[in-house]
Amino acid sequence: MKLLYKLILVLVGGVCLHANAQMPHDAIYMNKNSLCIAATYSNSQWKEYWENNLKRENFNIGTHTTQSVMPMIAYGITKKLNLLAGVPYVWTKTSAGNLMSQKGIQDLSVFVKYNMVQTESGLSLHGVLGGSVPLTNYVKDFLPMSIGIGSKTLTTRLIAHYRHNSGFYITAHGSYFFRSNIKVDRDAYQADDRVYNTNEVRIPNATDVAARAGYYKKGIQAELFIDKNTCVGGDYIRRNDMPFPTNNMKSTGVGFYGKYQPKNIGFTIMARRVIDGENMGQATTLSAGFLYQINFKTKSAETAKQ
Amino acid sequence: MKKIFLSFIILIAFSVFVSSCNKELEEPLREAYIPTRLDEKGGTWKTYILANSDEIPVAEPKAAGSAEYQAEIAKLKTTISTITPENKKAVTYWGAGAVYRWNEIARELSARYNIPPASNAEGKYPVPDATKPLADPKFPFANPPYVSRALAYLSVAQYDALVAAWNYKYKYNRKAPAKNDASVSALLPVSDLPSYPSEDAVVAAASYTILVAMFPGEVPLLDAKLAEAKNARIWGGMNVDSDISAGDALGKAVAAKVMGRARTDGMGAANNQTVNAAAIANAKAMGLKSEWLSQELPARPPMLPNYGTVQTWNFDKTAMIAMRPGPPPALDSDEFNKALDELKKIDKSQTREQARIANYWSDGAGSYTPPGHWHRAAANLCFQNKFSELATARTLALLGTAEMDAAIACWDVKNYYYYPRPQQFGLKTSVGLPNFQSYTSGHSTFSGAAAHVLGSIFPGEAEKLTAMALEASNSRVYGLIHFRFDCQVGLDHGKKIGQYAVARGKADGSGL
Repeated sequence: MKLLYKLILVLVGGVCLHANAQMPHDAIYMNKNSLCIAATYSNSQWKEYWENNLKRENFNIGTHTTQSVMPMIAYGITKKLNLLAGVPYVWTKTSAGNLMSQKGIQDLSVFVKYNMVQTESGLSLHGVLGGSVPLTNYVKDFLPMSIGIGSKTLTTRLIAHYRHNSGFYITAHGSYFFRSNIKVDRDAYQADDRVYNTNEVRIPNATDVAARAGYYKKGIQAELFIDKNTCVGGDYIRRNDMPFPTNNMKSTGVGFYGKYQPKNIGFTIMARRVIDGENMGQATTLSAGFLYQINFKTKSAETAKQ
Repeated sequence: MKKIFLSFIILIAFSVFVSSCNKELEEPLREAYIPTRLDEKGGTWKTYILANSDEIPVAEPKAAGSAEYQAEIAKLKTTISTITPENKKAVTYWGAGAVYRWNEIARELSARYNIPPASNAEGKYPVPDATKPLADPKFPFANPPYVSRALAYLSVAQYDALVAAWNYKYKYNRKAPAKNDASVSALLPVSDLPSYPSEDAVVAAASYTILVAMFPGEVPLLDAKLAEAKNARIWGGMNVDSDISAGDALGKAVAAKVMGRARTDGMGAANNQTVNAAAIANAKAMGLKSEWLSQELPARPPMLPNYGTVQTWNFDKTAMIAMRPGPPPALDSDEFNKALDELKKIDKSQTREQARIANYWSDGAGSYTPPGHWHRAAANLCFQNKFSELATARTLALLGTAEMDAAIACWDVKNYYYYPRPQQFGLKTSVGLPNFQSYTSGHSTFSGAAAHVLGSIFPGEAEKLTAMALEASNSRVYGLIHFRFDCQVGLDHGKKIGQYAVARGKADGSGL
């Protein structure tokens, strides 16, 4: 009964809660055999966007909104090796114009995070390997309404982290995203200032770098971050044209991330604002998450006690 | 320590692996072929603009045994022996066919220029200026009527120039260099087609002349393409210089005549926005309850509202009016409500297959438009059937004129009935909303005409082409930007328009 109640909590949390939760980019690990279930709701809006590098608005879009709910799990294979997986359900809309909303289950992403170096002084290094694959055949090139661009990705990430005994920490990480080509519904399209007579579209690879500083102790985490996401190559939105998956999308964002998890149940919030970019919207993203940690070991220990 | 080292190695190896994956795109290769028919009597085929095939004189070439020709052959051999891998690539590229490639280039330019102007700070849409083609907004805005016209003139110029070239080829009968001198090693298959004047140079020069007029901002690119197209024939050992220069002069002279028609076909008045008030009043007098209104913000003037008055190719204006479709359903009729209900249902639950069809045929902003889509299909059919340059040009001219006729006739209908789009009744779209009236569907009209023309030239493909046209037509319902009746009537209207081009083709002396 108690378990059912908890399950309902998770589901309800899921409905009203995206995520950058305890994530493939932090230095936090689940204990061996403990499982964390999380659900994050995320709302990302932009009114202005960069057409190439021209900042503009579009009266035929108004405010563009992308929302998502992402159930996630994190599992401690060992205390130094964690597995993370998530699948968002995404839906888009605009406040003006007549572009049809898109919605659906997007891409499954799976990461493993490994604590490669841990020194006594609090300095640590972490490696992340991961990937994502679309779970549904959503329309990929109806931008900006598509729920994703449908590429399969492989990610490698290196995280450097220093945490002082007081709980204050700084983190820096950089990643490389290999992004596979995609197939679109059309058999010709324009990109790189030419027409390609094929339905296959080359998606540029991408990188990110970020710096984070915060405090983490006793279930409380508060963090400020700055990050920069950049495609490796790609083309630019032409004057007054629509975006396309081949675009070199770039954004620099600043934000706050907080987590409160006194015991098994925890909450996360995240806010990010894009301060500079190209070929994409100047989005403000807000997300809230709910998480529930199950420690199998403890439970079996408790059972044994009784 | 060992473990740390190992994990670094894994991370780096994985990074190197993923960043080096091959992402090259595969596009269809096009290898040169010997045409199944050389169309030896091509010089007698009926031209569009030229009065006859010797209207433009081409001087007799030097004889094969002459010192001048032998010097040209010697020079050709030297050139072949010194070509670079880049030159070879150009030979292969152009080996797909001159008409084929120039049509492709035109479609590419069409796509590149197919972006509607942005509104300015005053909420107005500046009109593209032909004298400042690269300013914002660029000239032209290569929308479907514009592209239908550009491709029509391109194909007509290529065809007329080739008919003239065929006349001189068989009049003078100069053999290809490799046939005159076995030691000339040509890079492409050599047919028995006489080489003077060069069909490739004729097509290149004619195409260049039309495309420079249609896309005046692209002179540097077109200069480079023209030079490469002509040089590739030398690099490949296919023509001597005098073949090329005679072809170049002929192509330019024919295209100049074709441009004479283009300059006086009424296109200059196609964007006359003052015709709208009278058109709306007329439609209302016929019973229209609410007229088409631009759904863009700020409201954008309709695309080329007076395009219906541009000069047609295969029929006259009396015939055009005579086959103009009857009126669409009244906006309060059951028939209208039924069509609206169908769209509402799709709006609520569009299937992935409906979205796919809508996207495949969307041919909207940034694309080569529906006429471009059908020209591509036609060029590929000609290639697959190993058509001669002349037969390819004929096919594209029949198609091109039919598509332009379709655009003119359809725009006449659109502005005559001034019928609102489904978006005026609360519907969204998954493909983007064209900024002009709903009835009848341009896609359907273009596709009905194209499938009929191509089906007559490629009877074995007729069924498939008809199915493609129907799918293109349906795509506009699935994309929610047309009522079912817009599409059905448009498809049927297109077929009637196509019949005129087919009739011309049957009577052009080709026997095809």
